[in-house]
Amino acid sequence: MSSFSRRTLLLSTGATLLLGKAGFAQRGPALMPPAIPPHDPKIDTEWRHYAADQANTRYAPLDQINAANFNNLEVAWRFKTDALGNRKEYQFEATPLLVKGRLFLTAGARRDCVALDAATGEMLWMYRMDEGQRAANAPRQLSGHGCSYWSDGTNERVLFVTTGYRLVSLDAATGIPDPDFGDKGVIDLKTDFDQELDPLTADVGLHATPLVVKNVVVVGASHTAGDVPTTRFNTKGYVRGFDVKTGKRLWTFHTIPKKGEYGYDSWIDGNADQAGNGGVWAQMSADEDLGLVYLPVELPTGDEMGLYRHGPALFGESLVAVDIMTGQRKWHYQFVHHGLWDRDVPCAPILCDIPHNGKMVKALAQPTKQAFLYVLDRETGKPIWPIIERKVAAGDVPGEWYSPTQPFPTKPPAYDRQGVGPDDLIDFTPELHAQALELIKNYVTGPLYTPPTLSKIGGPFGTLIAPGVQGGTNWPGGCYDPETCKVYVYSKTTIQLVGIVPNTDKNVSDFAYVHGIAGVTPQAQHAMGAVNENAGFRPPPPPPAGAPAGPRPGPLLVQGLPLVKPPYGRITVIDLTRGDISWQVAHGETPDNIRNHPALKGLKIPRTGREGNLGPLCTKTLVICGEAGFFTNPQGVRGAMLRAYDKATGEEKGAVYIPAPQSGSPMTYMLRGRQYIVVTIGGGNYSGELVAFKLPKES
Amino acid sequence: MRISRKVPRGRTALLAAAGLLAMTATVASRAQSAASSVWSGAYTAEQADRGKAAYATNCAACHAPGLTGGDSAPPLSGGVFLNNWNGTTTGDLFTRIHDTMPANDPGSLGGKTVSDIEAFIFQANGFPAGTTPLPSDPQLMTGTKILGTKPAG
Repeated sequence: MSSFSRRTLLLSTGATLLLGKAGFAQRGPALMPPAIPPHDPKIDTEWRHYAADQANTRYAPLDQINAANFNNLEVAWRFKTDALGNRKEYQFEATPLLVKGRLFLTAGARRDCVALDAATGEMLWMYRMDEGQRAANAPRQLSGHGCSYWSDGTNERVLFVTTGYRLVSLDAATGIPDPDFGDKGVIDLKTDFDQELDPLTADVGLHATPLVVKNVVVVGASHTAGDVPTTRFNTKGYVRGFDVKTGKRLWTFHTIPKKGEYGYDSWIDGNADQAGNGGVWAQMSADEDLGLVYLPVELPTGDEMGLYRHGPALFGESLVAVDIMTGQRKWHYQFVHHGLWDRDVPCAPILCDIPHNGKMVKALAQPTKQAFLYVLDRETGKPIWPIIERKVAAGDVPGEWYSPTQPFPTKPPAYDRQGVGPDDLIDFTPELHAQALELIKNYVTGPLYTPPTLSKIGGPFGTLIAPGVQGGTNWPGGCYDPETCKVYVYSKTTIQLVGIVPNTDKNVSDFAYVHGIAGVTPQAQHAMGAVNENAGFRPPPPPPAGAPAGPRPGPLLVQGLPLVKPPYGRITVIDLTRGDISWQVAHGETPDNIRNHPALKGLKIPRTGREGNLGPLCTKTLVICGEAGFFTNPQGVRGAMLRAYDKATGEEKGAVYIPAPQSGSPMTYMLRGRQYIVVTIGGGNYSGELVAFKLPKES
Repeated sequence: MRISRKVPRGRTALLAAAGLLAMTATVASRAQSAASSVWSGAYTAEQADRGKAAYATNCAACHAPGLTGGDSAPPLSGGVFLNNWNGTTTGDLFTRIHDTMPANDPGSLGGKTVSDIEAFIFQANGFPAGTTPLPSDPQLMTGTKILGTKPAG
């Protein structure tokens, strides 16, 4: 912990740090913590969890901002994050919490935790931990998705997970670590983990927020992307519950079961003993009444290769309900058996009470990368509408194990394209479509769950899958209107090549086959993590010296245009009273290269939408979501739009300019009679920024 | 290169101090005339060759050897890249690469390597090479726009 330094800015003196929380009141005004901003509990609303509540609805029943006035929105304040961390950040993904007039979030390249005045954006306090090489080695860098809040009515805490995988509990009033929690406010999450880990180099981190439920804080785990995994013996992504007051570990749930535990027998030849990953890197949900936490689990090691995890391999790509207090499994549902398509369950399930067969059912709805919304009874894990096992094809990768069937929901229908066939290809003109048909001849194509195949010089180059490994829907998840029982979810439409190539370089991976393209030497994958030669990581090898001759796969583009036909990004509304789609809208302005493309001159092309990772916000009357990409607007200015749709019809009701795409999901609150919408933006040449909108007083 | 780089910067400061705005404008227009967009030859072929090797070493593990992007890194060629950088300057892209990449050791690449890599990215996106190298100082790159589509004429 020698690298651990604490600084709390904007307190009147650094000496305050040494006094602890008891010191404030006794030392006079000069040492007072930042005042709580003006707020009115009688009329203000709050936003205490990442997606508003433990049910992950991202819903607020506010309507001061509505269809009639959305276009009148003005920027209330901006909070630029450039001064946080040691460099600018361009991947700002947080959603702030709102409690008593203060916003709490993580921000900046170092993932500092900050409190802002929700009316002005002024910083109240900032907490930073310089973790040195441990953070530089982490598999999940940058600002993360935010923090969590707990209060017993008197004490208030803000909790977050650092880049280097430490859980920190701060006094919400001051940003000073809670001395009663863990070791001076900090828990080293690489210890007390049911496995021995090197604190500096172990491949584990998290950029989701912890989940606070009752007096328990639940923490997941994430790892470096597993397309070319360094080792099949990777860190295991167990989930833990801690006492929020003391930091004492209450339970550990083994997402990869140990011998003798439920699920171990779903692995062949004891493969569970060696496999790693299987983390919960997504947000989680909880139902305090049922006493359950819902854990969306990712794959065991190998995103597209299941060579060393034979069998259905629980709890890979499953949703698991565990007891809040004990971590004991109540039920689970596996969405993909022995996945080979990187279909990590990427976001929190939305908890929803819906009418079904004449009675109200406590259900949940799980958006996924594969664009199915799985709807389950959240007490039992049983499907609300039948989910049937269908036969799927096997592939040709030596040593691979293929599940003979996969589960297919009968309702609701898929909300984005699945699989690749002629009807999915670009069709702006017959010529472009013909070129696309020609292009895919060199690839294996087929319906959803067509397996990855060997990539060969001369073809086939591998399997084209849709949605791609990033989805569909990814980490922001959806939102939910509890009044109408409708789920709103953004998804992107992509086609991606998944080829498998042999690997013989143990310095790259101990996998015999990895994700890659024939003729291209696989490179070690460090993703967002770091190369640290002193700590056993390896630098990437030199570029390949001459590859075999033969046709090679090129980009999946036709005259520079996407192989897949639009929409490239969409918002879908799914009615859970009937299990069908109410409306769907292309979300995002048509990109510049399509509007300016010579082959499309004179064609009238409807708005295409844009691909990205977006979370929509639901209010009393609107669905609000920023765009995923830049475009050049009619004023000739680069930027994006924050759009509002009538939530009943999907009709666009307004749009306001944001200088960069939405990078974190929006939230909203009422503060002293004014409704605010706050959204994180950034990307490209525009560094991370939190922007707050409100209506001018005259309206 | 180094000497000529310093001249306009110093001159601009002096002229601004003297309030000679007209002459400052002359400096700006001269900078733009070198290459007002990536379509008029903003880098040299030698730079792109060096950049290809530097890309393979520093970028390909995440962004893929063919610049097509990966699980945790966006593509650096084609529509997604061009649309998100359309209308920015070569200096904007330089700064982003220089300050935040590679993700495992941000800020570790020198300006010359960064401009070589940027030249390789331009080449891969079909922008033509020219005779004037892409500078290795973003302050000299504010006049050259990245345009996804070739301007008419």
